[in-house]
Amino acid sequence: MNSEKLLVVDNVTKVFTKGQGFVKSKIEAVSRVSFALERNRPEIFTLAGESGSGKSTVAKLILGFEIPTTGSIVYKGNPVGGLKGKREFIKDVQPIFQNPFETFNPLKKVQSYFHDTERNFSKFSPGKYPLTERALELVGLTASEIKDKYPSEMSGGQLQRASIARALITNPSLLIADEPVSMIDASLRMSVVNLFKRLKDEQKVSIIYITHDLATAYYISDRIAIMLRGQFVEVGAVKKVLDEPLHPYSQLLKASVPAPDPETRWSEDITLSDLETREYTRKGCKFAGRCPKAFDLCREQEPEHHAVDDRLVKCHLYA
Amino acid sequence: MAILEVDNLKAYYVTQTFGRSSTVRAVDGVSFHVNKNEIYGIAGESGCGKSTLLKAISGLVKPPLQILGGEIRYNFADQQLNILDLKDEKQRRRLRGARISLIPQGSMSVLNPVRRIKKSFEDVIYAHLDVSEGEFEELVKNHLEALGLDWTVMHTYPHQLSGGMRQRVTIALSTILRPEIIFADEPTTALDVVVQRGVIQLIKKIKEEQQNTLILVTHDMSVHATLCDRLAVMYAGEIVEEGDVKSLFGSPKHPYTSMLLSSLPKIGDKSARVSAPGAPPSLANPPAGCRFHPRCPYAVDRCRQETPALRQLNETHRVACFLQEAGSMELQGRAANEQ
Repeated sequence: MNSEKLLVVDNVTKVFTKGQGFVKSKIEAVSRVSFALERNRPEIFTLAGESGSGKSTVAKLILGFEIPTTGSIVYKGNPVGGLKGKREFIKDVQPIFQNPFETFNPLKKVQSYFHDTERNFSKFSPGKYPLTERALELVGLTASEIKDKYPSEMSGGQLQRASIARALITNPSLLIADEPVSMIDASLRMSVVNLFKRLKDEQKVSIIYITHDLATAYYISDRIAIMLRGQFVEVGAVKKVLDEPLHPYSQLLKASVPAPDPETRWSEDITLSDLETREYTRKGCKFAGRCPKAFDLCREQEPEHHAVDDRLVKCHLYA
Repeated sequence: MAILEVDNLKAYYVTQTFGRSSTVRAVDGVSFHVNKNEIYGIAGESGCGKSTLLKAISGLVKPPLQILGGEIRYNFADQQLNILDLKDEKQRRRLRGARISLIPQGSMSVLNPVRRIKKSFEDVIYAHLDVSEGEFEELVKNHLEALGLDWTVMHTYPHQLSGGMRQRVTIALSTILRPEIIFADEPTTALDVVVQRGVIQLIKKIKEEQQNTLILVTHDMSVHATLCDRLAVMYAGEIVEEGDVKSLFGSPKHPYTSMLLSSLPKIGDKSARVSAPGAPPSLANPPAGCRFHPRCPYAVDRCRQETPALRQLNETHRVACFLQEAGSMELQGRAANEQ
């Protein structure tokens, strides 16, 4: 039934418990999250939010590193985490991590990662690595650039592109990129961001792009989900959501991005959140404590997702 | 009036490995001045020498870092001094914290994880002031109140605070003695946008209240745009451009600056952006001539042989590029056409 869908995340919740016995506390890191990616229409789907919003947990759930407490994640018709289609899944879904210097072991040569991956996933003839060469070409590197090099001998931008190339060896349909450009220097950052765009257009790879940087999200993605304390507060086409955010939290987030322009400086002050854990356990809307438009209902009852103007907004204002 | 003048500063890392010495020229011939009461920004990528520059001017020079030339002069209201003349660590310590103060990078690791916040405050205050416990409490209470923080944070351990809270506590700690100059090294990096905005507000508030001078080092051009009065852009150990933010962001003169600015994506603008080809050079072996020439689209032969000096364009703007010199009008025209 889901054959048209690449990935279906359906009502997924992940609860982490902390402590033991009497001091046990629960945190809903991901709370009733749902979205789907189409199989034949590659897209870049952004999960945006602050640290502690649960966006990396969503990535771990999709990769099968964590098991959802409730809800289901189905990839190409097979549930993630099950044995059925597992090998196919590992080949098809590849992660890219934040800091390329931590992705690679500093004592191992970069090429060994490529060669190991190729050996594991294709028919192998000794001494020849055609898939490695193809993957490197896709990201704009050459085999001689990584040959016999240790991670410390490469620049951050080069190494992150190598990390993307490694993920491309298995010819995946879905890349999960967790903050892939936040550790890269400004003058090299756009080369990696543009690479994602090209992979989507030319290689038909869908990408789940996880970031806190709304400016790059606006630049590359098709759809965006704004996360707050484990929940999607606003989901829709990136142009709509970021040009004219509806949820008060999205509005705050957008207004807090400093513009690279000295003419537009902030005039009014903002309130910062109280302790993170306090917002997680808050009854009603998680944003009610900071929201300038909050009314009594917000503190009592959790809002539903309301469809407004082609997007979903989790706010009582749009009921 | 200039409160800090740096003149042709050279700070190198000199290391000896198996009898072979290698030199990393992290800060190479940097000159600038900072006026009293302004916010001066230093921008650049990682490895361009901006943190080394900050270490050198705050007197935190320890081997392998060595100062091989130049002068760093402070003009305080009652005293003028060259920090390189202070040979005694004791004298430098008296200066740091009280007259100049550093908001360090990475608030996660600067507070001692096994001591309560109050202990850190005690360390700083008792090292400089001879106060009783009551006076100490009053001083800290007033300061925290002014910054919108609660006295209860004094009894917490760092891990109990969120990242933004820890950064605010660190800022409070660095500014409690009302220093005349504050150095901030990447104060908002690794913070969320909303918290970042809160911290920027806080820094602004302190600066206005205490009437001091702030030197802000970060790679984030957007933060510079929102905070600074004047900005210096560093590349490979040198200042390549300096000017007041409006003219620097409005019409950048150095190809590196304009590339850096044009590569920044903006909300509301989906037009294609490209980043510079190549990567920043290694400072152990920088290219000859202009250090940017291997990545510069307008490089000519002269750029490969001679090093351009930082020249005054007008009252507020300095740039180190042959493109901006007289007689290069033709090149400038080409640059404009390509843009």
